[in-house]
Amino acid sequence: MEKKDSYWSLKYRQLREQNHSPNSEYGEWADNTLTPWNRQTGFQEKEFTNSSNIPIKEVYNSKDIPENTEKHLLGLPGRYPFTRGIYPNMYRGRLWTMRMFSGFGTPEDTNKRLKYLIKHGESGLSIAFDMPTLYAYDCDNPRADGEIGKCGVNVSSLKDMEVIFKGIDLSKVSTSMTINAPAAILTAMYIAIGKKQGVPLDQLAGTVQADILKEYIAQKEWIYPPEAHLRLIRDMMVYCTENTPKWNYISISGYHIREAGSSAAQELAFTIADGFYYVEMGMKAGLDVDDFAPRLSFFFNSSINFFEEIAKLRAARRIWARVLKEKYGAKKDRTLLLRFHTQTSGYTLTWQQPLNNVIRTTIEALAAVLGGTQSLHTNSYDEAWALPSEEAVKIALRTQQIIAEETGVIDTADPLGGSYYVEWLTNKMEEEAFRYFDQIDRMGGILEAVKAGYLQKEIAATSYRRQMRLEEGKEIMVGVNKHKEEGEQPINILKISKKAQKNQLDRLNEVRGSRDEEQVRKALEELETAMRKEDVNTMPFILRAVEEYATLEEISNVGRKVFGSWKEPVIV
Amino acid sequence: MILLKLDELIQGIIKGDRRSVSRAISIVENEQVSINAKKIIKEIFTHTGRAHIVGITGPPGIGKSTMIGNLAAMLSGSGRKVSVVAIDASSPFSGGSLLGNRIRMQESLTRHGVFMRSLANRGMKGGLSRSIWDTVKILDASGSDIIIVETVGAGQADLDVVNLAETIVMVLGPGLGDEIQAIKAGIMEIGSLFVINKMDLPGAFIAQKDIEETLAMSPKGEWKPPVVGVNSLTKEGYDDLIMEIDRHGKFVKKSSDIAFRKFRTELEITIDEELRNRFYKEIRAFLSDNEKIRILMEKRTDPYSAAENLINSIA
Amino acid sequence: MEAGKNQSLFKGKPIKILLAKPGIDGHDRGILVLAKAFRDAGMEVIYVGLLPTPEEVVDTAVNEDVDVIALSLLNGAHMTVFKKVADLMKGRNINDIAVVGGGTIPEGDKPKLEKMGISGNYGPGTPISKIVEHITERAAEMRKLKSMEE
Ligand SMILES: Nc1nc2c(ncn2[C@@H]2O[C@H](COP(=O)(O)OP(=O)(O)O)[C@@H](O)[C@H]2O)c(=O)[nH]1
Ligand SMILES: [Mg+2]
Repeated sequence: MEKKDSYWSLKYRQLREQNHSPNSEYGEWADNTLTPWNRQTGFQEKEFTNSSNIPIKEVYNSKDIPENTEKHLLGLPGRYPFTRGIYPNMYRGRLWTMRMFSGFGTPEDTNKRLKYLIKHGESGLSIAFDMPTLYAYDCDNPRADGEIGKCGVNVSSLKDMEVIFKGIDLSKVSTSMTINAPAAILTAMYIAIGKKQGVPLDQLAGTVQADILKEYIAQKEWIYPPEAHLRLIRDMMVYCTENTPKWNYISISGYHIREAGSSAAQELAFTIADGFYYVEMGMKAGLDVDDFAPRLSFFFNSSINFFEEIAKLRAARRIWARVLKEKYGAKKDRTLLLRFHTQTSGYTLTWQQPLNNVIRTTIEALAAVLGGTQSLHTNSYDEAWALPSEEAVKIALRTQQIIAEETGVIDTADPLGGSYYVEWLTNKMEEEAFRYFDQIDRMGGILEAVKAGYLQKEIAATSYRRQMRLEEGKEIMVGVNKHKEEGEQPINILKISKKAQKNQLDRLNEVRGSRDEEQVRKALEELETAMRKEDVNTMPFILRAVEEYATLEEISNVGRKVFGSWKEPVIV
Repeated sequence: MILLKLDELIQGIIKGDRRSVSRAISIVENEQVSINAKKIIKEIFTHTGRAHIVGITGPPGIGKSTMIGNLAAMLSGSGRKVSVVAIDASSPFSGGSLLGNRIRMQESLTRHGVFMRSLANRGMKGGLSRSIWDTVKILDASGSDIIIVETVGAGQADLDVVNLAETIVMVLGPGLGDEIQAIKAGIMEIGSLFVINKMDLPGAFIAQKDIEETLAMSPKGEWKPPVVGVNSLTKEGYDDLIMEIDRHGKFVKKSSDIAFRKFRTELEITIDEELRNRFYKEIRAFLSDNEKIRILMEKRTDPYSAAENLINSIA
Repeated sequence: MEAGKNQSLFKGKPIKILLAKPGIDGHDRGILVLAKAFRDAGMEVIYVGLLPTPEEVVDTAVNEDVDVIALSLLNGAHMTVFKKVADLMKGRNINDIAVVGGGTIPEGDKPKLEKMGISGNYGPGTPISKIVEHITERAAEMRKLKSMEE
């Protein structure tokens, strides 16, 4: 069966050719100037590579990028292919949103933290949930014992969400919820609260992560087999397109792919490949790409290799715009814009000499800004160790404010545009991404590739390589494998009080005692019927169950019954 | 003292005590043909021969572990005592190994309390041979009704499983490409039954047809290997699969011919190994004596004569 | 990687180790790296995948007759979950399988874990060679216990 060359393989071949231009000027210089210099100074040759394992030369010049770069590859800000930014005046017109992750312990604690951040000038709310919530276990499930409120806030029913948003007017804030497997249930809870506050649905603003593909690839928090989750997300997409126009329903996340140990190029490739899948899914569900694609947003990691990160973000914008236009037939400019949130890397933080993390985060935040991010979360220096303390969160927020208000990097759009090195690296990252798109396509698409564990294996190989390089001292982490200090004191950490668990159990019992059991049973039964019919939209049924105070686990158990569970492929 | 403990262990095996079974397997695995290992097997031997030993083989990723998980669940569900052994390859470089077969079966194993043991092939050099036979014996003596052995479709470990199992289930599926040709050319005759897994995927029916046609052309014996299509995600086809496994089990147990062949093979392997082991210490000592070897090399002694001289000097 | 001075003890009888994250925690980067590293250090590594319960961990350790159980958790639940594993081991009188821990474990918790018999308790950034060395030591202790019994 000879197949015609796919879009992906054609593109990949083109990019390979484009980036493979012989550079005789470099060659001549290397022979006549560099080599003698190295010999004279006794310089020990060694390999310089970045996280994507791309070898870096001593210097780049105009011969390393195609002649028509400016015209074809860059454009100007606010113009196709948006390499230089999605808005004409970038940060002059509008700073990025400073969005700090919060959520820990009890809903009461989280409510207090949200209010604190609003008071200190944070412009968007962001909520992290604890592990039981992420896996849709109620707080009284034995598996949840000891995990309540540990890595985020615990939500077992609508009651908890009511407490989190008590006294916060949902028409005045935008909220980002980091939740995936039970995303539809949490979205339904948010809608339910909006309804109770009397906020019209079309004013509910925010984002739910709901990127289930990256769960199988990297974060591994799933409940059902991939197909089942994708179907529920499709239902949510369709429902929200019709009812909550300011609710961004999928935040396609490279962050976790990177934290799982991938390279920058893998983060770029796998995230955008996920994005393409969601585009195809929406189109298959009958939505017009120009209607729903603008509601997809991205979430990237900004790690420590400064230029590589910037190149990655620039490449991401260009790839998205190109492919949406060329392959998916998007007509409106709005559809082509890749808007993204960035978070600085957690992976690069160390518990040793924790204050060094402030510096790392600053550099990573700067890369995100130079890469043109729309919103940014800066990690707190104590995050490698525990949930951040208030003090540490404030410094992290101040880091962004200093970049925005003191450094002048916001004065002009894409200040690094035209740098030979940055342009070359941007092209290289793009090429790497297409190499993966082609490979994934050959495996029968991303769903098949994920089920076979291909992407997971690629990531595991990268993270193993990095670990070995760290062990051999080929890669450095200050304070960990170089410039170490003896007898380090562990830093102060935020203690989650044991009360959190009890608090949650009490509230759950209260909910169970006061709701109308008959209505709960009926709502869950109807949900089951809806789930069993592939073409019925489950979202209204989930909303109904939520409003009857069916618990998170009860609702997700309906799916466990209908769809079964999932065990990952063997990766190592 | 030591003997007393070993006796307890042996009693434990026969009573089906998990920890005794498990520790005994370690002994036969780590201390092959040691006095302890041999004593265990000698003592439990009269308690063996009851279990139906089923080997499951096929290329990596075809769904063997998933299938064993399903079989284990269904068979224990119907009241049978199931035990599982899964073999993985050792790294030729470090000698270590990643034993990952559990992942796909863990859920059913836990739910039904099925005993499962992962074995590494430890780089072939006779490593696994003895211990896989002994492991199966221990499981047999511990009261298993059925012992399922998973092995990848290649290498020494596979041969051992073919020899020791009474029923060989060859698992194939769609998308094998050229591999299926190689399988057809090489090992069709060893399958007692053929399973086409992943019937939910395109190409599965073609694969099934392909195998059926090949079988139709092969020489016919007393047993005609059936071909069963299954979907391991939904357990479709599993009732047929279990029925065929049982049918073959009955067929084998009836045939004294097969029992004789198996016994003979094991005897042969055991004699080989005993023989090698008898001289093992001396051979190792000889091979680590670089001085002696250098002299042989300098004298340009041919390897046959050197080996003969060595053996004659020991025996 | 060298497994250190105890290497000869394990010749032909590799250390068998069960790697597990017995909590609801999907962050498997570290554990996958360790799995490969342990294999490359010559160990036989059993990995049961994500989300095993403490009961499953102990059952598996017994079935596989491992020398060492290595637990890792990054979600802060170690004091509850590691303890469950330790209690189950005690309840079943298992004293010849070592339990080592790792993950984000505050200094203050380490003595408590040690008391439960869970050693190591290394944080992120610990050189793998150090972890391997510790495991090798513990495995050697266990092998001695086992051989005395027989
Ligand atoms: N579509 C489909 N996938 C299956 C089926 N059986 C197993 N798989 C998948 O095939 C992959 C490999 O399975 P595994 O049991 O580990 O294969 P093994 O290497 O032969 O032991 C896993 O991702 C399974 O989920 C099936 O019947 N249909
Ligand atoms: Mg397998």
